[in-house]
Amino acid sequence: MMSNEEPDRHETSEEAINPVVSMIMLRMRTPLIILITVYAITIIGLLLISGVDDQGNPWRMSIFHALYYVSFTATTIGFGEIPYALNDAQRLWVLCTIYMTVIAWLFAIGNILALVQNPIFKKALNENRFKNQVGKIHEPFYLVCGLGETGYEVVKALTSEHYRVVVIEKDPESLLDANLHDLQEFVPCLIADASVPRYLKLAGITKDNCNGVIATTASDETNLKIAISSKLLHPEGKVVCRSDIHSYEENMRSFNTDHVVNPFQTFADIFSMLLHTPSLHLIFDWLTGAPESQITDEPLKLNYGRWILCSYGRFGHVLYQKFLEHDIDTTILEPDETVYESFKRDYIDQADKMIIGTGIDERSLKKADIENAVGIIAGGNDDSNNLSTIMTARQINPDIFVVARQNLRHNSELFHKTKADLVMQPREITARMIRVLFLNPLLNEYLTIAKKQDEEWSNIVISRLSAVIGECKPHTWTAEINEKEAPAVINSITLGRTISLNHLTQDPISKDHKLKCVALLLERNGDYQIMPDDTTPIQSGDHILFCGMLEAMNSMHWTLKVMSSLNYVMSFENEPESYLWRKLKQAYKGKERREKLR
Amino acid sequence: MNSEKVLFSFFMILALTLNFGFFIGEMDDPQHHNVYELFAVIVVNLIATILKFGDRSRLGPMLLATSLVALVQLISAAIVWTFAVHVHETGLTPSTMVTIVSLSGGAVLANIISVMLLMIETTMLRR
Repeated sequence: MMSNEEPDRHETSEEAINPVVSMIMLRMRTPLIILITVYAITIIGLLLISGVDDQGNPWRMSIFHALYYVSFTATTIGFGEIPYALNDAQRLWVLCTIYMTVIAWLFAIGNILALVQNPIFKKALNENRFKNQVGKIHEPFYLVCGLGETGYEVVKALTSEHYRVVVIEKDPESLLDANLHDLQEFVPCLIADASVPRYLKLAGITKDNCNGVIATTASDETNLKIAISSKLLHPEGKVVCRSDIHSYEENMRSFNTDHVVNPFQTFADIFSMLLHTPSLHLIFDWLTGAPESQITDEPLKLNYGRWILCSYGRFGHVLYQKFLEHDIDTTILEPDETVYESFKRDYIDQADKMIIGTGIDERSLKKADIENAVGIIAGGNDDSNNLSTIMTARQINPDIFVVARQNLRHNSELFHKTKADLVMQPREITARMIRVLFLNPLLNEYLTIAKKQDEEWSNIVISRLSAVIGECKPHTWTAEINEKEAPAVINSITLGRTISLNHLTQDPISKDHKLKCVALLLERNGDYQIMPDDTTPIQSGDHILFCGMLEAMNSMHWTLKVMSSLNYVMSFENEPESYLWRKLKQAYKGKERREKLR
Repeated sequence: MNSEKVLFSFFMILALTLNFGFFIGEMDDPQHHNVYELFAVIVVNLIATILKFGDRSRLGPMLLATSLVALVQLISAAIVWTFAVHVHETGLTPSTMVTIVSLSGGAVLANIISVMLLMIETTMLRR
């Protein structure tokens, strides 16, 4: 009430008072005052008018009786004329009472109903509930902004590893599409624009247990805003952004955004792997695939020759760069004349590589000489055009290698039916990269190093991997040698024992067997050792990346954490762990020694 | 001049004055304490309390608290009165009357604090 005179104070005290409560109070003020006034007036009326009791004596209602009478009349319960029958003057007033009080009640109830229906009130109620849900999270959690196709994949991946996730999404429709109830963990969700810092704060970005922010909204601009806000509000947290446009990517990197995932660039890198070392692509696919995805064990074989690239947009552009890098002849089909003009300006000497044409009809594909091409990339941003390109191309040249860009998730089945050799899904690639970056940062390092290796190296890795995993999808994990994650190993190191990698990869149940896993990378004080040797000794502070079966990971945890398991694999005698056994053993040893002396 | 502010202050001060009027007199003499005055005090206090609902100024919560205290005291007094007259039918004995009046005395104190807070708020605004 005094707030309109002092807007600044209004702002500061707003945080303290729950907005829902204050909204109800403000809204109910008028109806309640009307109700009390009506009650007071009607009670006074009943008090003033005199009646007669059952003996015919003059009688006036007491305040208690009047309040009782008005109360049951106002609520339309109507017990009748108590304690004595009323006279006509009283009845006249009661008539007024009934109408006045009933209207006052209706007004009050109407106000409450209007408030409940009010979208602003609903929003405040939702925000309040969301805030409470976030407040209850005490374990580390991640904040995902934007629950589109990418966002959903990321949330699914994080929750399946039992991480807590908080989601902000602008569009209520996407929330309905993404079924958050099926996930392994409860996911609090707020319908709001994530680029507004207030909502990020509401989602707990400033909390200490907020491990990182993942910006996967469809708009690069929103992602940029989220990245800036998160770096300012919670500088310790990790920030990963999705970005499709190069200039935004540069901008995001300029203020220490931890990672920027550009699905087109990422796919171009993967594709480039496929062009020069197909087996490296296979390793990449094995290690980064989603836990339940199918794996292929044959590397894709590409023939050397001319490629056709349909549509020269953001995707086409990065792919063309890769073709240039690998010196592969390319023909580009692009329907837009302005793109053609700008291409001619940028690559004066290669202007003949681009042909104007849609790429969806036989005529334009023939113009690009599809009969003599080894591969075609349907890279437009329209799924039906891409599908049409694939089908037409296959009709003319059945042996052609087909790479298709799939933009929408619900078209999966159609793309599957076309039997394209490689389907690029921006959301799937982004989710895959974010999963690696957040859940297994060491794997990202490994892949970066692996990209620089040659075909021979990759083949050795593949043979080692397939020896342990067979047909299954490998699991990757990082063993951290520290007090918390590997107390038994640290204990042994302090005892002066030398533990090497092959101790860890032995089965703690029967040590003659090897666990089905391979050490991929060893990180020690910032140095990386790729495919470390089995005899490498382990030091405190090492991070080791393993790849193998899920059972192997579980068994290895025993060796890392339990002293008796570690002693067993290292063929050391078990130290008794309980106090009593230790004392008994000491006594026994002492006795033995005395007997020897005698 | 803000008419809302006038109404707000009016009810708060009226609550105090009526309350004081009911309280003053011999403690145990029912002649000095009118039941209709108690009724008026309760109604005015109720309205004053509701006017304070949702007041987001810094002293708003304090003002609301004092009013709620006054209401609790006055309603207890009214309940004691009702019990004495209608339930036990002992009538207004001096001891009952003392209870009722002392309860309303507590409400007077709460109302005084309330008005003082209002004055502090007003002087703070001037500065």
